[in-house]
Amino acid sequence: MTDRETSERLLRLNAAVDGELDAMASLEFERAMRADPALAAEYRRLGALRDAVRRHAPREAAPRALADRVAALVPSASQTAAQAVVPFPRRTWLDRRALALAASLAVLGFAVGVGLTSLRPSSGSGEVAQRLVADFARAEIAGQPFDVASSDRHTVKPWLADRTTVSANIVDLAPEGFPLAGGRIAIVERIPAPTLVYRHNEHLVAVTELPAAGGARAGVGLETVDGYNVARWSGANLAYVAVSDMDEKTLAEFVEAFRRAQASSASEPPAR
Amino acid sequence: MTNFVAEQRFREIVLPLLDDAYSLARWLSQSPTDAEDIVQDAALRALQALSGVSVDRPKPWFLAIVRNAAMTFMARNRGKTLAYAGDMADLDALDLRQGDEVAPNPEQEFIAHEDGERLRQAIASLPSPFLETLVMRDVNGLSYREIAEATDTPVGTVMSRLARARATLAKTLRGEP
Repeated sequence: MTDRETSERLLRLNAAVDGELDAMASLEFERAMRADPALAAEYRRLGALRDAVRRHAPREAAPRALADRVAALVPSASQTAAQAVVPFPRRTWLDRRALALAASLAVLGFAVGVGLTSLRPSSGSGEVAQRLVADFARAEIAGQPFDVASSDRHTVKPWLADRTTVSANIVDLAPEGFPLAGGRIAIVERIPAPTLVYRHNEHLVAVTELPAAGGARAGVGLETVDGYNVARWSGANLAYVAVSDMDEKTLAEFVEAFRRAQASSASEPPAR
Repeated sequence: MTNFVAEQRFREIVLPLLDDAYSLARWLSQSPTDAEDIVQDAALRALQALSGVSVDRPKPWFLAIVRNAAMTFMARNRGKTLAYAGDMADLDALDLRQGDEVAPNPEQEFIAHEDGERLRQAIASLPSPFLETLVMRDVNGLSYREIAEATDTPVGTVMSRLARARATLAKTLRGEP
């Protein structure tokens, strides 16, 4: 037997013990063992050694104090290790504390990505919330709160106009403390809808413009979806949904400023 | 930058792997207290990394971080780097003929293996590349490919290191020098 053959034989033995041979190689190996008692004996020895290693060098539990310290790195996690290793329910991370933390850490490029994908009245807030979370996570992972980042509405408007059938009426709210941060496209019921992202301190608000389904409605609907504040209102031709990590009062101020500015600008553009 | 998406991933990915991480760190550092420091450092690194990446295979990903944290720790606190002198032609250095010369006697070896302390000492005295490969395989239960990923090593090298680690253990347990 050459060195190379010896070496291959040894590698194959280990792979067999570790279950790393594919089906055909396993078949071949079993045949080889039947024909070669020495190989079969080596296989048993190696298996016994592997078993002994597993028995005498078992995986050890991390000390409780360590598990507690590591769990404490993520503040809203349960502080006890025993609970921390239990998988968390999917949406626990949107609890108030997590959101407060998120808000405190929010920088541009962080708290964004809020396109409502279903606006039917029948949509439960749970369903909307789930989509919000998904969109939020996607935007955050991509690190891209906007498709076009610009504080210049004359840059954002044509970009959006090229890609949507709803002509965005972009108002300048910088004097009110809500400078434009950028624009992006949300897909709502398979239709691309322009979304304007405004900034307020470290917070963002995303306003998605949609063809109005049922004509103008008076007033602004405010709700909280998994800790996010969501405002809805409608004009003659368009419906608006604003999603934000701002507090409710600030969001209400934003909506007020937004509507006032639109009313005083040229009349609302019709849906194309 | 940490954020709560990273924190959620951390809970899903890192917290369930703490036992694996601790066991690996303990074997690599050979010290329970150092292992705690290493795992804590690795957890911090993981949390930071999780804000920028998504992770397909959590276990090799996190154990790679633990391994790197262990290497950093050893270099800093013990003034030495783990022995990574290349692949040193792993298999060439292995006495490949031992298997042919030793009469197969599984029972006798089984008894020898029952001497757990001796076995643990034999594992602990393996050179680092062999030690980490063996621990990742038999303690952490990683596949060859996952070990290759975690150690940034070709699969062929993983296989030869594992073969050599076991051959060395068998030799030690037989009382050979």
